[in-house]
Amino acid sequence: MNASILARMLRHDWLPLLLMAIAAIVVLALISASFFSNYNLFVMLRILSVTSLVALSQMVTIAIGQMNLAVGAIGGLVAILFGAMLELYGVPIPLAVLAAIGIGLLCGAVNGVLIAWTRINGFIITLAMLSVFTGLNYGITKSIPFYNMPQALKTAYDSYLGPIPMILFIPVLAALGVGFVLNRTRAGRHMLAMGGNPAAAELAGISVTRTLIFTHVLSGGLAGLAGVVAVARLGTAEPSIGADWLLASFAAPVIGGAALAGGHVSVIGTMIAVVLVILLENGLLLARTNPFYVQFFLGALILLAVMFNQWRARRTEARRASGRVVPT
Amino acid sequence: MSALLTVSGVSKSYPGVLALDGVNLRLQAGKIHALVGENGAGKSSLIKILTGVIEPDAGDIVLAGKPVRFSRPRESLAAGIAVVHQERNLIPRYSVAENMFLDRLPTRYGVVQRRQMHDGARRWLDVLELDVDPATPVRYLSVAQMQLVEIGRALSLQSKVLLLDEPTASISEHEVERLVGILRRLRDQGTAILFVSHKLEEVISLCDRITVLRDGQNASDAQPLAGMSKDDIVTLMVGREAAVTGLGTRTATPGPCRLELDGVATAAGHVGVNIKVHAGEVVGLYGLVGAGRTELAKALIGVDRVTGGHVRIDGRPVRVRSPLEALRRWRLGYVSEDRKGEGLILAHSVTRNTAITVWHRLRRAGGLIWGGIERAFIRPLIERLDVRTPSLEQAVGNLSGGNQQKVSVAKWLAADTRILIIDEPTVGVDVRTKGYLHRLVWKLADEGTAVLLITSELAEMIQLADRIYVMNGYRVVGEVANSHDYDGMSGTLMQIIQKDNDVRFQPGRAQEERGGQHV
Repeated sequence: MNASILARMLRHDWLPLLLMAIAAIVVLALISASFFSNYNLFVMLRILSVTSLVALSQMVTIAIGQMNLAVGAIGGLVAILFGAMLELYGVPIPLAVLAAIGIGLLCGAVNGVLIAWTRINGFIITLAMLSVFTGLNYGITKSIPFYNMPQALKTAYDSYLGPIPMILFIPVLAALGVGFVLNRTRAGRHMLAMGGNPAAAELAGISVTRTLIFTHVLSGGLAGLAGVVAVARLGTAEPSIGADWLLASFAAPVIGGAALAGGHVSVIGTMIAVVLVILLENGLLLARTNPFYVQFFLGALILLAVMFNQWRARRTEARRASGRVVPT
Repeated sequence: MSALLTVSGVSKSYPGVLALDGVNLRLQAGKIHALVGENGAGKSSLIKILTGVIEPDAGDIVLAGKPVRFSRPRESLAAGIAVVHQERNLIPRYSVAENMFLDRLPTRYGVVQRRQMHDGARRWLDVLELDVDPATPVRYLSVAQMQLVEIGRALSLQSKVLLLDEPTASISEHEVERLVGILRRLRDQGTAILFVSHKLEEVISLCDRITVLRDGQNASDAQPLAGMSKDDIVTLMVGREAAVTGLGTRTATPGPCRLELDGVATAAGHVGVNIKVHAGEVVGLYGLVGAGRTELAKALIGVDRVTGGHVRIDGRPVRVRSPLEALRRWRLGYVSEDRKGEGLILAHSVTRNTAITVWHRLRRAGGLIWGGIERAFIRPLIERLDVRTPSLEQAVGNLSGGNQQKVSVAKWLAADTRILIIDEPTVGVDVRTKGYLHRLVWKLADEGTAVLLITSELAEMIQLADRIYVMNGYRVVGEVANSHDYDGMSGTLMQIIQKDNDVRFQPGRAQEERGGQHV
């Protein structure tokens, strides 16, 4: 490949990832005839519908330079409360969805207000709230799922709009929405400003407190939505929903090129990374690899992606230094 | 005429340091007021209080007849006080326009209106005659352009009170003239302007009144500038007694060349740096903030990479890959300018902080370090430096700024270095400690250490150094033998920098073209 084309493509955080994803798809299609089967594609899409929301939920907190360890715990709590509303109280589905998202927003607000009020590190607060939310979840359910979800929920989840499965809209709309908030709204610009340089943001007259709380509310809402979608996907409201979200929630934004210190995240990169993770799992499945090794390969993928990002950042830095006398 | 902004009896103390001690300041509408003082005199603390970055311990602030108290920057902005801080406060990935309007992005239904924002920014860029696209991320701008963006942001607030902390430090003479024109116009429209600068010529030609701070107190309080000379101001700044007494003189007896930089380039962006430091010599590296002095020191000790030229120690070409190697193999030490961030581990004891450079030598059988041996080694150093601490086990975070600085220096004395780079040794320390540290620098040189001194404080540089290199824009742009005459030397050094800036910032002239060239 021409060196200058390669250089230009490397400038976008997500282009090498996209190439990797395409390569993975080609390889998988060659390895296994069943890869492009409707069934297999639908299985992947179902995973995507949840994981993309989980990744975005974490990504917005990374944008301000924080973490939300309670992403899965919020998702789980929302999932069982959503299930309870449907099974025990017969709440109409649209209302229950809205209420469930509201609970997610509320959980996020608790995180945000606690961090802002105590000024304790967000890592610790969300770690504690992870336990609090999970405890509530198991206390309410005694670890027993709500099995009787209305058929209408399953039907809606598996329905098509013309040839397009409805569940494809979830990641697409969520990504567009979060991208819009971050890039085009005042609140989103304040978030990335705070992540990029908290002192400068505060001196410029931004309310760091308000931005911090808004971010956690947004993160909680997305985690809650992920919980709702997970219930629709499984057909039962299981208390264990969310228990295994944490790794993917960090892996996707970081593979997607996010700076853990804050100030820079890529919505497209994160979404491609989610697809890449799903392809990896699917590929291992199709190749009949021992499923217990999935974690191993996922870890390897994270390491490789982060090392690549690091290499690229150093390279850009070196170029800038050699091209200019006064560094910026 | 009554004042628009009155500060009276404001005090602020940090652990061990009284930064402001009952300071007064009165700004009038339609006047440009100068605030001058040496580094550490309290100018920046005062500005931080006026802009809600820090809160005063005591004192009153009255704005337009009403008492005010700011506990965060938003509040002071809302009250109509705009500021250009001394440090750059931009968000690198954000555009020029976004940085200017960050706190008041024009929105419709919460959605940022980019065109409106860019139009707004362009208006102020035009006023400053800064020819950049408002959509450019600021990280692609030069330092001078960034400075102008910050000034543009402050102007765009169109506030009643405008505070400028060293706005001209990194811009060219041409840009300074333009800024001066704008400030005069704002003054005539009734804005109250506070102008902080080290460049006394600017102060004298631009300002109406002057407040001088010295060691956190008023040396003058809103004195009319008419009829004052540069000498008058300098005397107010340094104080008569300090100007007269001082250290006396020192005759340097340089030995062999210990450290030599020959055309050194670094990953940080230095080009063609030539410097020699001999044993027994105090060599100064002078420059304005952002000139690249600390960055050069970091490259020399192996934190950053040297990418070109030669570094020689005792005539041998060396490649220092890490601070560990610098210390162990070449006995090259670096006293950091940032004692809290890099110089000390605040929660650790005096002993541990001092012994950290010599643990490998204090190890006994089995690699163990015994507290007794450690303390016995450290005690003479702590006594020699007269560190005031209740015990050697005291956490250094509890000591005063001056004593912290002594500990920061002590650990390098413990390491017994042959070449010592000392970066801003007396920032935020009291006068007595300052004198003490000054004598120590000379004593080290007299004992044969090659000392490379970095300081932004002109008086300190002219007092201590035998020779001075001037650094600007990551290059060495001049070398001067120190005459120890403050007025003459300060003029000479400033001239070298100004002359270089004028060439550097000439439109259409690439900086790379003259990399490494000496003036």
